[in-house]
Amino acid sequence: MILRAAVEAACGLSIVAAGPRWLRVAQREHYLVDATTRFALRWWVAVPVNLVGLGIAVAGLLASSRWAAGGFATAAVIAVGPVGLSLRGRTSPLAWTRRLRTLALVWAGLEAVAVAGGIVAGQGPVAASAAALAVPALVDLACALMAPIERRLAGSHVARAAARLRRVAPTVVAITGSFGKTSTKGYVAHLVSGTRSVVASPASFNNRAGLARAVNEHLADGTEVFVAEMGTYGRGEIAELCSWIRPDVAVITAIGPVHLERFRSEDRVLEAKAEILVGAASAILVIDDDRLAALAEARALSGTRVWRVSASDMNADVCVLEDGGCLSVRFRGVEIAHAIPFDARPGNVAAAVAVALELGVPADDVVRRLATLPGAPHRLEQTLSPGGFVLLDDTYNANPAGARAALATLGRLGADAMRRVVVTPGMVELGPLQTQENTDFAAAVAAVATDLVIVGRTNRRALLAGSRRPPSGSDAPRVVVVSTLPKATQWVREHLESGDVVLYENDLPDHYP
Amino acid sequence: MNVTTAKLAVAFGGPSPEHDVSILTGLQAARELTRSQRDVMGLYWTKTGEWYRVDAALEAADFLDGVPRGAQSVQLVTGVEGSGFVAGAGRLGRSRPLPVDAVINCCHGGPGEDGTLQAALDLVGVAYTGPGVAAAALGMDKLAFAGVARAAGLSVLPRVLLHRRGNGPAPAGGDDIGFPGPYIVKPRFGGSSIGVEVVADLDTARGRLDANTHLRAGAVLEPYREDLFDLNVAVRTWPDIELSAIERPLRSTAAAEILGYADKYVGGEGMASAPRQLPADLAAPVVTALHDAARAVVALADVRGVARIDFLCDGNDLFVNEVNTVPGSLARYLFVDPPVPFIDLLDGLIGEALARPAAHYSAAGADGTVLRGAGGIAGKLA
Repeated sequence: MILRAAVEAACGLSIVAAGPRWLRVAQREHYLVDATTRFALRWWVAVPVNLVGLGIAVAGLLASSRWAAGGFATAAVIAVGPVGLSLRGRTSPLAWTRRLRTLALVWAGLEAVAVAGGIVAGQGPVAASAAALAVPALVDLACALMAPIERRLAGSHVARAAARLRRVAPTVVAITGSFGKTSTKGYVAHLVSGTRSVVASPASFNNRAGLARAVNEHLADGTEVFVAEMGTYGRGEIAELCSWIRPDVAVITAIGPVHLERFRSEDRVLEAKAEILVGAASAILVIDDDRLAALAEARALSGTRVWRVSASDMNADVCVLEDGGCLSVRFRGVEIAHAIPFDARPGNVAAAVAVALELGVPADDVVRRLATLPGAPHRLEQTLSPGGFVLLDDTYNANPAGARAALATLGRLGADAMRRVVVTPGMVELGPLQTQENTDFAAAVAAVATDLVIVGRTNRRALLAGSRRPPSGSDAPRVVVVSTLPKATQWVREHLESGDVVLYENDLPDHYP
Repeated sequence: MNVTTAKLAVAFGGPSPEHDVSILTGLQAARELTRSQRDVMGLYWTKTGEWYRVDAALEAADFLDGVPRGAQSVQLVTGVEGSGFVAGAGRLGRSRPLPVDAVINCCHGGPGEDGTLQAALDLVGVAYTGPGVAAAALGMDKLAFAGVARAAGLSVLPRVLLHRRGNGPAPAGGDDIGFPGPYIVKPRFGGSSIGVEVVADLDTARGRLDANTHLRAGAVLEPYREDLFDLNVAVRTWPDIELSAIERPLRSTAAAEILGYADKYVGGEGMASAPRQLPADLAAPVVTALHDAARAVVALADVRGVARIDFLCDGNDLFVNEVNTVPGSLARYLFVDPPVPFIDLLDGLIGEALARPAAHYSAAGADGTVLRGAGGIAGKLA
C-alpha cells in the first residue's frame, strides 16, 4: 500500500517537473493542437540516449500493472528527460502569459483526473505512470479544449481592430507568400513612406491575434497606408483575416515548400495564399512561379487590376534584374533605375516597386528611395567580425530558395577566400520534402563551401548525406558536427582568419533537437 | 505637498512621429525619479491614443511590439467628479482616479507638444510640467513663432508660407517670394527635423508639397545658406530662469545638408549621444547675443519648464530658428556648465508644475446679469 502511494507520488512529481518543458514547446508552436506530441516524438526518438530512456519509461509502465515499483523507472525518466530539451531556453524561455497560465491549469486538471481516476479504479501506479508518459499528449488535449475559448477571447480584440480600421480607413496593402513577406513589407513601407504616411505590421504579428494587436496599437489616426503581412498555417485563415482587414492591394511573393507538415502539398499552399486576392481591387504577383503566372491570368480575366512582376521577364510590368549584387529596375519595358547596389531577392523588390507605383508614389521618388532600401535584420546581413572574417547572417531565413540565394552570395564574397564556411541546422517544416530538401541543400553547400558546420540533430542525417555528394568537379567539404549554436560560433572563432567568409543559414529555436 | 513627496506620473509616447523618442525620454525621467526614491508611475500613451499605466522601471525593448506586458489600461476622464487618469473605468463601482499630483510631460512632437494634451490635462485639473496650451501651440507653429520673434525685433531668417500654385494670396511680386534659392522646405507644424528638405528652386519646393507627407498640413520656405551652422541652448524656468551651455551639433556626414532626424535620434539614447561640440567654441559677442536672444524668447514664447532654443549662426550673425518646448531627453545633456544633475532639473519641473499652474480658468463676472436682462432667445434672433 505504501509502495503504491510512493509510486503515485513519484509519478506526480515527475509530471510537475515535465509539465513546464512541454508547455514551453506548446507556446513556441503557437498552441497548435498536435505540435507538442510531434515534438515529443522527435526528441525521444532522434537522440539515442533519449530513445533508451523512452524504452525504460515504457517498460516501467508495462511492469507497473504487476509490480508497482516499475512506475519509479517511468517517473525518473519523465522527470529528467528528454536530454537536451531545456526549460530555460537559449532562444525562447517560457513566458507565463495569461494564455499559458490558463493552459497550464487545464492541463493540470487533465493530469489530476487521469491520476485520481486510476487510483479510484484501483490502478493507481499504472494510471500515474501513463499520465507521466502522456504529458505532451495531455498538453495537446488542453490546447484543443482551449482553442475555441481562446478564439472567443481574441474576438473582442479583432472587433476593436475592425472598428479602428473602418475609422482610420487607410489603403490596405496585404502581403503573403511562402517566403519574402517580411522583406517585401519592409521595402513597401520604405518606398511609400516619403509620400504617404505608412504603418507596417511589426515582424511577427502576421496572424489573427497579431494583426488585431498591430491595428489596435500601431495604426495611428491619419495613417494613409497600412501594410499587413499575412501568414497562414491552413486554408481559410487568410480569408478570415481579409474579412475584416479588407485589402485594397494584395501581394503574393512566392509559393514554396513551407509549413508542409500542415499543408501537405504546395498546391494547397497556393490555394490558401490565393485567398488574399478575393476582394482586392489590385493584385501584385511574382510571375517567376508558373502557378502565380497562371493565377495572374485568371485574376486579370475576373476584372482585378493585375501587376505582373518578375526577376527575369523583361516584359513584366515591373522587372528587377540582379547582377553581381546590383539591381536594375524596369517599368513596363523601360529601365528606370540602374545598378543600385543592394543584395536582396529581386522578386521582392519588384513587388514592392509595383505596390509603390500602384499607390501613386511618383516613379522619381521610388527610384530615389530605392538607393536607401533597408536590409532586413538577420536576412543576409553582412558584418565584419572582430577576427577580420566576413559574417553573413541569414539566420531568419528558413526556406530552400532563400538558402540557395545565400549560397550564391557566399560564393561571390568568398571567391578569393581561403575558407568559405556554412553553419546551419538545416531547414524544418518542409513535411515529406524535409529530408530531400536538406540533402539537396548540403550538396549545394558542397559545391560552394570549404567547411560545413552542422548544428543539432534535427536534420543531421540528411545534411551529412548531402555533403558527401558534391556535384562533380568539386571536393566534399570538411564537415563538423556540433550540438548547439554557441558551440558552432566558438568553432568559427577558433578556425577562421581574416579574409574568410562564414554564412549562418537559419537558426532553429532550441525546442528543436 | 512638496517636490519630494508628490505622487508623480511620467507621460510618454503618444500619436506622434516622435513616439519612440518620447519613450526614451520618459523612461530616462522615470528611472531617475525611481533612483531618487520618488513615488512615480509611467503613463504610456499609445500611437492609437490609448493610455496605460506601466512600470517605471521598464526598458525601451519592452515597447518594441507595442504596449508592454503587465500594462494596465487607464482612461483620461473629464466632466465628472473624480476626473483624471482612471483605472478600471466602466467596471462597477471601482473607478477611482489614480493619485497623480503632477504629470511629467515627456511627449514630443504631435499632440503632446502642440497644446492638445495640455488642454486635456487643464480640463481634467491635473498639474503638469512644461508649456501651457498657448505656449505649446506657438512653439509648434514655425510660421507663427518666427512672426512673433520678428515683431519683437529678434533677428530671424525670412520664413514664408509655401502655397500650391494658384492657391492662397498671390505674393505682391508675382512668383517672387523675396529671396532666391536654394531653399529649405519645412513642415509648418512639427517638433523636429522630420520632413525637412533642401531644394534648388520654387517649382521643386511646390512639387514636394504632394510628394512629402509631412508637408501636407502646411509648409514654410526659408533661404538655405551653406555658411550657417546650428547652435542650441536649453533654458529652465524654475526656480529661476537659467541657461545651459551652448551646443554646436555636428553633422554626421559631409553630404548631409541639414541636421536630420537620423543625426539626432537614430542610434544611442537620443540626442545625448549625437556628435557635438559642447560647450561650443564661440566668440564672446556671439555668446552674449545668444544669451540675450534666448532670454527674450523665454518671455515671448512663455517658456515653462525646460525648452531648447535653436539658433543659426555664420560665426558673427545670429538668427533665432525655433523653440522646442518639450525637448528630447528634456535637454538634460546640455546643462553641463554649471552642471545641473538630472534629478535637480526634474525637481525644478515638478516644483513649477505644483506651484505655478499652467491654466487659469475663471468664471468671475458670469454672475447671471446678462441672462437676467436677456429676455427671450427668439427676440435675440429677430
